[in-house]
Amino acid sequence: MPELLEISQLSAGYGPLRVLHEIDLIIGEGERIGLVGLNGHGKTTLIRALTHMAGWQQGSIKLDGAEIGGTRSQGAGRRTPGLVKRGIGVAPQGDAIFPGLSVRRHLECGAHTKAAWRERRQRIDRIFDIFPPLRPLEHALVGKLSGGERRMVSIGRMLMAEARLYLIDEPSLGLAPKISHRVMEALWDLPVTGAMIIAEQNVTLLTGRADRMIGMHAGRLRGDVGHVDLA
Amino acid sequence: MDLGLIVYALNLASIYALMAIGISILWSSVGVINMAHGATFAVSGYAAWLVTGALKPVIAASLGKTALASAAMAGALVGSALITGALCGVVIYLLAFLPIHDKPNYPVRALIITLGLNIAAVQGLLWTFGPRSQGLPKIFGFGRWEVWGTKIRYDQAGTIIGAILIMTLTLGWLRYSRRGLEVRAMMQNAEGAAYSGISRQATALPVLMLTGALAGMAAALLSQTIFVSPTAGVIPLIKGLTIALLGGLGSVPGALIGAVLVGFLEAGVGAVPFLGQRYVQFATFLFIITVLIIRPRGIGGLLDDTRE
Repeated sequence: MPELLEISQLSAGYGPLRVLHEIDLIIGEGERIGLVGLNGHGKTTLIRALTHMAGWQQGSIKLDGAEIGGTRSQGAGRRTPGLVKRGIGVAPQGDAIFPGLSVRRHLECGAHTKAAWRERRQRIDRIFDIFPPLRPLEHALVGKLSGGERRMVSIGRMLMAEARLYLIDEPSLGLAPKISHRVMEALWDLPVTGAMIIAEQNVTLLTGRADRMIGMHAGRLRGDVGHVDLA
Repeated sequence: MDLGLIVYALNLASIYALMAIGISILWSSVGVINMAHGATFAVSGYAAWLVTGALKPVIAASLGKTALASAAMAGALVGSALITGALCGVVIYLLAFLPIHDKPNYPVRALIITLGLNIAAVQGLLWTFGPRSQGLPKIFGFGRWEVWGTKIRYDQAGTIIGAILIMTLTLGWLRYSRRGLEVRAMMQNAEGAAYSGISRQATALPVLMLTGALAGMAAALLSQTIFVSPTAGVIPLIKGLTIALLGGLGSVPGALIGAVLVGFLEAGVGAVPFLGQRYVQFATFLFIITVLIIRPRGIGGLLDDTRE
């Protein structure tokens, strides 16, 4: 299996706080990784560090063999748009929505590549097929939607352009169990060309579906197991 | 309240709105309280004065005293003010945004740098042109219309129409163009914008040029009523900033409504016999402070029924 993402000796944190401690991880083409761990153990920081959104970071990150990591003490977010354009799609924790834009305009924002912008209508239609509740809300302001609908919009924005690596942070956070199941089902049904990392606290949502489960504890990776079925 | 007073209020409101919208958009998309907005205003006014002064003989020689000549003069005045405003935006981008935008405490650093730019530009204008005010050619001509028994001066009507025109263009660009969509996304959630591949560096330049051009337009329009002087930008800057605050920094409709409210308040207070012009500033700031005490998010907070 070719290596899509190769992380070595990655540390990251915020100000004086070090959250990640020299993480090594290799992810292959087509893999869906479930990243599990308790609150505050570094799942989100790992995802943020992959897009240079953490406060500071050091260590190597290679996407398709190209180095995108490096040492950085400030300037969080400066490289993020460039990395997104290079093929990292992110559905962040808390959704990071644009409250004053309609669902359609919101999804158009995600179409940042030339090809995606040209065929944005078809793509928005495809997102509505994946998340049918969004179709009647096409012209509603995202700031007036419910938590579940916002999560769908946020994931939909990520799916508007092709990516090599999809990073999805806590897709079930704050959602009713029924809705979080629906969101997760939609995620698993996606045709993944690159790889996908889903950070999740609720292990039962991942079991049986993720190709690999990786545990995080106190900023280090603990336990790396293949296909598991806890049920 | 008679019609003349309403026209005067709208005249004030259009200048204020041009300044306040620029400051508001800049704050929410670039993260700068642009203290150099007043300098942009004054520099644009002087540029328009220089350009129209240089072109006056040329236009008079080639076109004579025809309607085409005054149209060319108006185009030269407004065009030079707009272009100079946009160029000031580029200067601010190069000096107060690009070198420092990813450093800690960027908003405070940018505030200090733009304040420095403002002082330097005003002193530079004083140094070069002296403290005397300069009159610009009246592009709307002298005269007045009679509407329902009240007289409306051409320059007032022209200012209101010109301001509405350019604000419609700006808001339409923000609403319908792709770049405008990116700017709005950046205004509403910088992190979400970054995850959509929209970079602050790429949106900051057009936004700074646009808001600079708005300040230039304000200068061109105000030059039809009063003279241009090196310190001409101070009052529009202060008014623009406080109205942007009143509107809830970052809210374009809030800034618009705020400008109209303050325009009417100033015209109204000035017309009350026992108050008069000397209480205008007092009443304005009292009003803004009261609103901000009751509604800290300003008018934009009242309009906004979405949640983060």
